[in-house]
Amino acid sequence: MLKFILKKFFEGSLVLFGVVTVIFFLFNVLPGDPATVMLGQRANKDAIEAINRDLGRDKPLITQYFMYLNDLSPLSFHNADNKKSAYYLDNDKYEHVKLFSLGDGGQVILKKPYLRRSYITKRKVSEVIYETLPETAVLAFSSILVASIFGIFLGIIAAIKKDTFFDRLALVLSALGMSAPAFFVAILISWLFGYILSDYTGLSPIGSLYTNDVWQGEMLDLKNLILPTITMGMRPLAVIVQLTRSSLLDVLSQDYIRTARAKGLPGYKVLVKHALKNALNPVVTAISGWFAGLMAGAVLVERIFSWKGIGNEVFEALSKNDLPLVMGSTIVFALIFVVINIIVDITYGILDPRVRRAK
Amino acid sequence: MGQAKEVLLEVKNLVTEFKTESETVKAVNNISFTLNRGETIGIVGESGSGKSVTSLSVMKLIPNPPGRISSGEIIYHSRNNGAVDLVKASSKEMREYRGNEIAMIFQEPMTSLNPVYTCGDQVMEAIMLHQKVTKKEARAKTLELFKKVQLPRPEDILDTYPHQISGGQKQRVMIAMAMSCNPSILIADEPTTALDVTVQKTILDLMLELQRDNDMGIMFITHDLGVIAELADKVVVMYKGKIVEQGSVYDIFSNPQHPYTKGLLACRPPLNKRLHFLPTVNNFMELNEAGEIIEKTQSIQEVLKSAVVTKEERDAQHKELYERTKILELSNIKTYFPINKSMFGRAKDFVKAVDDISFDVYEGETLGLVGESGCGKTTLGRTILRLIEPTSGIIKFRGQDITNLNSTDMRNLRKDIQIIFQDPYSSLNPRITIGDAIMEPMIVHGILANNAERKARVMELLKRVNMTEQQFYRYPHEFSGGQRQRICIARALALQPKFIICDESVSALDVSVQAQVLNLLNELKKEFKFTYIFISHDLSVVKFMSDRMVVMNKGKVEEMGDADEICNNPQTDYTRKLINSIPKGQLEDIKASIDKKKIYMAEA
Repeated sequence: MLKFILKKFFEGSLVLFGVVTVIFFLFNVLPGDPATVMLGQRANKDAIEAINRDLGRDKPLITQYFMYLNDLSPLSFHNADNKKSAYYLDNDKYEHVKLFSLGDGGQVILKKPYLRRSYITKRKVSEVIYETLPETAVLAFSSILVASIFGIFLGIIAAIKKDTFFDRLALVLSALGMSAPAFFVAILISWLFGYILSDYTGLSPIGSLYTNDVWQGEMLDLKNLILPTITMGMRPLAVIVQLTRSSLLDVLSQDYIRTARAKGLPGYKVLVKHALKNALNPVVTAISGWFAGLMAGAVLVERIFSWKGIGNEVFEALSKNDLPLVMGSTIVFALIFVVINIIVDITYGILDPRVRRAK
Repeated sequence: MGQAKEVLLEVKNLVTEFKTESETVKAVNNISFTLNRGETIGIVGESGSGKSVTSLSVMKLIPNPPGRISSGEIIYHSRNNGAVDLVKASSKEMREYRGNEIAMIFQEPMTSLNPVYTCGDQVMEAIMLHQKVTKKEARAKTLELFKKVQLPRPEDILDTYPHQISGGQKQRVMIAMAMSCNPSILIADEPTTALDVTVQKTILDLMLELQRDNDMGIMFITHDLGVIAELADKVVVMYKGKIVEQGSVYDIFSNPQHPYTKGLLACRPPLNKRLHFLPTVNNFMELNEAGEIIEKTQSIQEVLKSAVVTKEERDAQHKELYERTKILELSNIKTYFPINKSMFGRAKDFVKAVDDISFDVYEGETLGLVGESGCGKTTLGRTILRLIEPTSGIIKFRGQDITNLNSTDMRNLRKDIQIIFQDPYSSLNPRITIGDAIMEPMIVHGILANNAERKARVMELLKRVNMTEQQFYRYPHEFSGGQRQRICIARALALQPKFIICDESVSALDVSVQAQVLNLLNELKKEFKFTYIFISHDLSVVKFMSDRMVVMNKGKVEEMGDADEICNNPQTDYTRKLINSIPKGQLEDIKASIDKKKIYMAEA
């Protein structure tokens, strides 16, 4: 099992390395000069050159790539003496622990990955992500939680009551939920429950996890979570209902279910003990995939509800050509996907012993 | 036997119906039989005869909807409650009997155990459900059961998952589960059909032993009369939902009355005779347009007599055959599969599926390839076609070395060598009509000028394999297993091959259907002058088909030679084991087993 997990981590880090490489070259061939972006109307030749030198953009692309990798890697090489060096150990940039010197000012350090600074706000990208990611995580988590609980529950009922009115209703509604586009549903829900019916629901059309109250300062406002959760959870919910239903129906027709019934087990035990454990495998995949997707793809919903999450931040960064922030967030998204996939692979092993041995 | 036996189960006028969209089908139509304690009743019939529905009706496990028991009684004499009519019993009452007093084992041991629980857990679950014992006691009892059903390493198997053990071992776990609460009745629904003959024999022996120890009644459901010859006391023959004949096993085997029973008895390939064709049910009866049975007055002996090939005929034919050219020459074929790959994908160990095999096949010959599952016979068949690449060795087809042929040449060559697979259910695409399925390879290889001509040819082929032209536009699910296998044969014929590899082509079929397909293959061979390699785990089938026979064991040739010669005079223990495990259904054997039972009863 340990070997299996280590192998997964090794594969995961390869994927991440690939993602970093693709992102780097993709964004660096895009038109647009960061110096102009940063300076705006104050741009003059000297200032632009100074900024380009600071960013290392006066060097060949391949050198820039290695500089970027060196910045991201937790274990990295730097020059502590020469301030002109591209690899200068700048205490402003790196929160680090020195490991050992290589002579001539060369240093090997252990550090937090440095995602560089925003061109616009000059803040560290890691700080921005650190601030906004939890908000997105709360939203994504609550959405997927609601979707999973209701989805699996409704899926089970639909499967047991196959071909009844309830089953058909569940199928029609989930088809509807799957086909409704997020931007439309978001606006509709926000308008209907947050504006038209706000007297009854007490909800506002927009709002984030924390609100600034005039008297008490920043405070937690959980009720703002309700509408975006419903909006984001709707499609995963619909998918989970259908997947649970079809997977359970498939398992219920298996020979070993007949064996369990021939043992004399009562119906609910056959369902819970013998059928569900087998049926949930594809559902777990779907849930985890959606969760990772929600972490990264909440842009529209966050935008419409003015949720101060990472999606909203990426949207703004993109419109302002703020490359470090966009690249940093993308790498973090990739990391989330990789980590969740590793967790799913391990969960598989727990749910299904056949996977355990195959590896 | 003398003393009156205690009655366990009386089925009276049972009718079980299935509702389809257009009509209601009586899968079981007014059947009655009795099962006594310590007795085995064999229920025999082909697929669709209603034998499995009968057993599921007794367990009340008929899927509802669409099925239901519409009339009749199933009187079960329970340990505690006396006589109860199971048809009227509530589902709660049924749960008390199921697995406790009436236990069941199924056809497919591979899929009948839940893959996510250990074998031990699944047996313990049944014990803890019906008996008031702690988990520890249940575990100890399970271990005892595993020893009783002769599982190897019973302590380990307690904590082993089903996918880690073999099919025969899984069936033993299923039997242990069924035996866990000392049932009065054991229903066995084709328990050995999916297993090798050698494994089948050990399972049948085990069931006989358990029955003696526990004095159970066994309902043994099978399509093959031979299997129950030495096990059953009574036989019930079912055909289209009705019982056509029932009686003691000796009477049924020595003096069958109904033509269908005669057909079932005669259709198994005999080991001691060489036949032109296998008798089938059609030799004894016909159906008229109203679906009524019209008997042909012929005894089994008369039919067999007309089919026998004499030694002289065979020798003459072989003399001519082995003067012909060799169509296929295999020298030192090895096919290894890597296991335990290292981190960088380099193989550390190998499974030697085919290990240094050489033989030749003559033009027009049928070469049989026989062995237990896992002996490498299927791998060898696929290696010849280079569907699996050989690790080393040389394959020559018509004198040409095809081992290193490039993929284009190989594709052209595949037209001449066709393969018919084992599973007629999964080797046809469910979304393609059978006509298109047969036509597809012709289009790929550019045979005939246009689709109109090809279609005409497909119609011919369909007729040739005894199907109708109207069936061109039907989909595979509308056909039975035997029909599908005939479609697969037609598909192989479409390319006008010279050489056909039949890979367990009849193993998934009922014996009665198997006989028809085997006869068809032989007729086609005569007509089109094919050469066959016939692969099967069933030595009697291989013997019936082949001129020469290769017995394979663990990737190596165990024995090779004239098929009759090997059967009459096997040289190795392995071949002898294969021959001995074939159920023969000889009257002497049946008599001996009845006597044995009598002696046992007298002792008890």
